[in-house]
Amino acid sequence: MNRFGELLLALFSWCCTLLLTATVGILMLFLLRRGLPAFDAALFFGDTPPLAALLLSKPVFDGLFPALFGTLALVLLAIACAVPVGLAAGIYLAEYAAPAPKRLLNLFFDVLAGIPSIVIGLAGFALAIVLHRTFSGRIGHCLLLSALSLAFLVLPYLIRSTQNALEAIDPVTRRTALALGASKLQNILYVLLPNRLADLTGGVILAVGRCAEDTAVIMLTGVVASAGIPNSLLRQYEALPFYIYYISSQYSGPEELQRGFAAALVLLSLCVALFLLAFFIQRRLKERLLYR
Amino acid sequence: MSIFSRIVERLFSLAAAGSALLTIAVFLLLLYLALPLFEQGGFWALIRSPWDPGAGLYGIYPMLIGSLSIAFLALLIGFPLSLGGAFFITCFAPLFLRRHLLNLVRLLTGVPTVVYSFAALFLLVPFLREHLTGGSGLNILGAALMLAVLIAPTMIIFFVDALRRVPSGYLQAVTALGGSPGQGLVYIALPLAWPGILNGLLLGLGRAMGDTMISLMIAGNAVALPGSMMDSARTLTAHIALVIAADVSSLEFQSIFACGILLYLFTALLVLMVRLLGKFPKRSPG
Amino acid sequence: MIRQFAKSNFLTACLLAASFLFSFQALAGDLDLFRGYKGAISISGGTAHIPVMKEAAKRAMTANPDIQITIAGGGTGVGIKQVGEKMVQIGNAGRKPTEAEIKQHGLVLFQWAIDGVGVVVHPQNQVQALTFSQLQDIYAGKTVNWKELGGVDRAINLYTRDQASGTREVFAGKALNKGAVSPRANVVVSNGAMKTAVANDPYGIGYVSVGHIDSSVAPVALDGVKPTEDNVRAGKYKVARGLYSLTAGEPRGLVKAFLDYLFSPSGQQIVIDKGFIPVR
Repeated sequence: MNRFGELLLALFSWCCTLLLTATVGILMLFLLRRGLPAFDAALFFGDTPPLAALLLSKPVFDGLFPALFGTLALVLLAIACAVPVGLAAGIYLAEYAAPAPKRLLNLFFDVLAGIPSIVIGLAGFALAIVLHRTFSGRIGHCLLLSALSLAFLVLPYLIRSTQNALEAIDPVTRRTALALGASKLQNILYVLLPNRLADLTGGVILAVGRCAEDTAVIMLTGVVASAGIPNSLLRQYEALPFYIYYISSQYSGPEELQRGFAAALVLLSLCVALFLLAFFIQRRLKERLLYR
Repeated sequence: MSIFSRIVERLFSLAAAGSALLTIAVFLLLLYLALPLFEQGGFWALIRSPWDPGAGLYGIYPMLIGSLSIAFLALLIGFPLSLGGAFFITCFAPLFLRRHLLNLVRLLTGVPTVVYSFAALFLLVPFLREHLTGGSGLNILGAALMLAVLIAPTMIIFFVDALRRVPSGYLQAVTALGGSPGQGLVYIALPLAWPGILNGLLLGLGRAMGDTMISLMIAGNAVALPGSMMDSARTLTAHIALVIAADVSSLEFQSIFACGILLYLFTALLVLMVRLLGKFPKRSPG
Repeated sequence: MIRQFAKSNFLTACLLAASFLFSFQALAGDLDLFRGYKGAISISGGTAHIPVMKEAAKRAMTANPDIQITIAGGGTGVGIKQVGEKMVQIGNAGRKPTEAEIKQHGLVLFQWAIDGVGVVVHPQNQVQALTFSQLQDIYAGKTVNWKELGGVDRAINLYTRDQASGTREVFAGKALNKGAVSPRANVVVSNGAMKTAVANDPYGIGYVSVGHIDSSVAPVALDGVKPTEDNVRAGKYKVARGLYSLTAGEPRGLVKAFLDYLFSPSGQQIVIDKGFIPVR
């Protein structure tokens, strides 16, 4: 390769990077420009007094509050379901599984991680129909079903992050407590997991972000355009990503469209904030553990 | 303590086995609901025929082609971009920038797809309509462009990872022999890193194939077989989202389970390919 | 601090109670239908209905916070199927359900408004009148450029609705005379989405519930008759239909209260406010 080729390659990689960052930058600036002017109390609470809305004493119409509430409930539920299972399965893979079953399980979780979210939503949807027919009653598309589907969606990420975190522990740390007479389980619970707390927390937070942003799953399992605050897990609900999709196709005027832009900004900042949180927790905890 | 630990350890293995079984259960559920199709031998017919409910045709061939063309076009655009980005981060960027750039790329993997599609719907689509493709601006090209932006960060991370795994001694040897960083990259790092790069490429393809919101919002959802990238098209994923709640027993409804099965099989196939790639004997340097 | 909070909370509560009483006074009568009920209604189906449903739900939920009403779209086909399978309590339909559908699911019909299906284009489009046969040629994909109709030299972008849509069925039956719709047409999922799609596309053409037509799109006269509320009411505009709410079996309790409210004077006023023609 001559000097010219070298220069061309450098130029190519500069251009690619600039093009990519510029594209994303322009899209984000566009969102900011159109969405920022809509930020005020009315964006979240419509014409309901904010305090009354937050205390759930008065319903909110024409505001993001029900959607935010729905997304929050959804994420909490999904994470509460997924984290114990994900951690346990990750621990099993890293610490207990024999090579052959481990290879098989790894394959399954890779497949699971690759399944498009709409297919998981479709499975949730189908499950609801089957349940509905079997129990001919109240079970249908609802918050709980969406949360379970989302839990399933993020399960492979949690398993992987747990497994990777545990497998990265150096042999000395791994063996010290064992040599002092701790059982295998004690070693895992009191030494290995605390040692990797930063990575584990980071993995959970990223899973939260994934739950908050996914639209395809909830679209098929219970999110609706207008619901207010759900008063039971078996009710339909509103959620932020679906609200954005809904507004994009059927806003009734410039104000509603602007609310859509603002909602997109809210969701974007939520995801960025979660990412930064995970990032800093990983760094901060690592530093602390290092100096202890 | 020992009973406690035995119970806990049993729970660990149950969690792992249960999660793996759920993966199969999803497939079986889809299969069960599409069963009537298989019994009538209609599955393959469905995959090959067009969608025209008026004429009683519920085929998903146009959606399959729509999905494939959008995903591959996205890859065609996204792959060189990502490769360039990865080269930049590993080789050409000023040193102080590299770490920050990689973190930025990681951040970008977390941007919600619905946010991308929302911004693109009001920025890219009018631009395409007025200046590039004509028509409604809702077409394969627009969706593929956005998908390329969506999958690029994932691919860059994989590419950078693969390039960085190349032992630094090799690259130092290139420098010692008077080679430039670019030469080290092209003649040493790239040939050694290609399994990792192919890996990232396949995962990018899976992501592009599996995304719903971008194609649903940007591609136009027409049911005709697309003839060019200026045409509006519908993907398998968007088709599921569009037909979903329409019906619970008709052929129309069963066809979306056929879409689900196709998507599931496609991603499973990609994962298997990645696996086989991992088994590939590493080429010895030299 | 806590005391202060409690105090302000108390004040808010008083204010709320006061405004509550006031609103009750203002809307006296019809909203009494919801008094004493608790629970939820889920509604899905026809998308032309959504503005009316939303407003009625808002008023019901404001008058009685113990009620929760969820509203989803999906289209007429979805509404009929879901109410038939008892997955929702009220299914909305933008066309009359067929005899087979009524029989299969034991549907009870409530027609609470009359609506038209109007052809719309972008307000800047010079072509704002068509004949039925011109329209049929456009939708069949035979006429492909606005130039052929006296407009600008740009391709016509077709917009249509998905298979579940009652609006599509009425449009295809009465305006296209059962003619074909080109598969190249862009597909949108609701009346609202149709309106925004055409409002954003200077070269687009679509069809939408007359109640949804506003200044963001231009109505197209068919054989000289504009799709307006007046023309639909007078029977001059022929592409018209009823808006139905369906229940599986006779409605009871809260569902009945909600339907009764739609037929009450204030319910019918909502129908008028949203651009439809009331039945009472």
